Amino acid sequence: MSRIPQQVIPLVVIFTLALAALIVGRQLLVPESFGDLGHYRADAVGEVAALDISYAGAQACLDCHEDIYDTKQEGHHQGLSCETCHGPAANHAEAPDEFLPLVPRGRDYCTPCHGYNPARPSGFPQIIEENHNPGESCLTCHNSHNPATPESPQECAACHRPIVNQKLVSHHTNVECTTCHTVPDEHMSNPRLVRAKRPTEPETCGQCHSRSANSSKNIPRIDMQTHGNRYNCWDCHYPHSPEANR
Amino acid sequence: MFDIIASAAANLPGITGYIYPNEYELQWGLLIIIYPYLTGLVAGAFILASLERVFNVSVLKPVYRLSLLTALSFMIIAPLPLLAHLGHPERALEMFLTPHTASAMAMFGFVYAWYLMVVLLLEIWFDYRQDFVRWSREKTGLVKYVYLALTLGATDISDKALAFDEKIGRVITIIGIPSAFLLHGYVGFIFGSIKANPWWSSVLIPIVFLFSAIVSGIALVIVIYMVSTMFRLKRLDMRCLNKLAELLLYAMIVDFSLELLDFIHRLYESEESIHILSEMISSRLFVSLIISQIFLGTVIPMVSISIARFGKFPAEMRRLSYFIAALLVQVGIFSTRWNVVIGGQLFSKSLRGLTVYKLDLFGLEGLLMGVGLLLLPFLILWGMTKLLPPWPDVEEAAEARPALT
Repeated sequence: MSRIPQQVIPLVVIFTLALAALIVGRQLLVPESFGDLGHYRADAVGEVAALDISYAGAQACLDCHEDIYDTKQEGHHQGLSCETCHGPAANHAEAPDEFLPLVPRGRDYCTPCHGYNPARPSGFPQIIEENHNPGESCLTCHNSHNPATPESPQECAACHRPIVNQKLVSHHTNVECTTCHTVPDEHMSNPRLVRAKRPTEPETCGQCHSRSANSSKNIPRIDMQTHGNRYNCWDCHYPHSPEANR
Repeated sequence: MFDIIASAAANLPGITGYIYPNEYELQWGLLIIIYPYLTGLVAGAFILASLERVFNVSVLKPVYRLSLLTALSFMIIAPLPLLAHLGHPERALEMFLTPHTASAMAMFGFVYAWYLMVVLLLEIWFDYRQDFVRWSREKTGLVKYVYLALTLGATDISDKALAFDEKIGRVITIIGIPSAFLLHGYVGFIFGSIKANPWWSSVLIPIVFLFSAIVSGIALVIVIYMVSTMFRLKRLDMRCLNKLAELLLYAMIVDFSLELLDFIHRLYESEESIHILSEMISSRLFVSLIISQIFLGTVIPMVSISIARFGKFPAEMRRLSYFIAALLVQVGIFSTRWNVVIGGQLFSKSLRGLTVYKLDLFGLEGLLMGVGLLLLPFLILWGMTKLLPPWPDVEEAAEARPALT
């Protein structure tokens, strides 16, 4: 004992106490089921599963509201659960007269999905709230259970506004969408199921840009055999804004 | 082009191009900038202290203890920005109870604990033990008992015991150098290992972080040494100050070269992210990267230290030059942390758009909170220097007195 320097003893005691506190702390504080299934408390799964259920599920709605369900199945909202808009309705399913579910009427309920967001796929119905019939309830024109637009859009810009805006200020401003895209008539009324077709071959661009094309002499020409080698035109040039740096 | 559409249609001012909805708002703000800044100062100040201890750069003796106390003061505050950012500080210790070995962030708790408890506190304790014993005998009142408690009961200050203190202190410093490298290299590793982010993902980041830490630590000690000496109405040790300036210059040359290497490497690789990163540097980060980090924080201090150190100037001019350079280095290194943390979140993962970072004045992530967190270590350091005077003149006076054993 005398050979151990005096100053080492308190340090050994302190570090031993700290280590002991860690070990005891682990024994006392780490829940028993921690780590059984992963880096979390396994009992939490059972506890969450035991919570009261708030949602009734679409089947419960169908039992009483078959007519509305049928209407919904005909439209674009067919994949949407009733409780997405009407809120959790388990208590309504249990006691229909006592608890009434939410009936959303304000614009705020539609815009989380249909407000314009550049990250949403082009073709998904989106509005700029400030410009789209301001102040009017969505329900005035749209039936939320089958929200087809009141009339079929006549122009591509009705749904593809961002792309059309982009094209407007590019050299392709005068090129019709249908010059490159094949658009079946049914795409106007059923855009999600019947899609417009994109070009697949460089020859689509060659209509105007090949050396032999019958187009204005101001249009840039390329040799279709050698230019770009094995790449498609749109691998390097963005067709809606072909002068953009890619 | 993209600018017109996104800002007009999405009605989100400042955002340009195509950006995903979860990228509009930055999740890591000022507090996350402050955190690597503080740990860098800790590692840098410690490495400076170790030069005196391990490599026997005796000219640095006047700042040895000051560097250690600086490292400790900043180390104590370093986790606070993280706790404030995450909330629920009561959960902080859970990372020790249930260690998550697959998470680099969670395991950092152990790196921090190792550095604080095994390196910094032990080294300071062994270095000051002799003084604790002396002060506990000389002082009166409550302070006497504080020093007595700090001795932890080890009151033996015989030559043999002091020789042991010296030896063990040296061993701890030797362990401390790789630990300090680990501490700040680890912070860099956390950023560098995020492979989905081209601004962060680089094997050079931990090394760049490490050298920028050394730069910031030396510069901080220069500032604190000069200011504290002025307030104590003492004379600056010019040999020590010249050495500090030299070391700062050498560290800056290595740091700047590494950053240039990283930059050239990125340019030469020219991955698909290069366009958006160039746009980000020339627009959003122009002031903080080109002006603040490179020009004000690197080029001007390097030039001014070189001229002042190796030119023929009066000491007064030299001191002023070093002081301004060290302050500018702090601005530069803070900008480096800013550019890493904020820059990595300003561009969209679509590589097609940029967002903006707007700093609040109030609130948990606001400017005032940040300023408070940056001032707190100085307050702690001030308190520490009262309790554990690191000044060489105090030390020498104590040594001159007859031993009390």
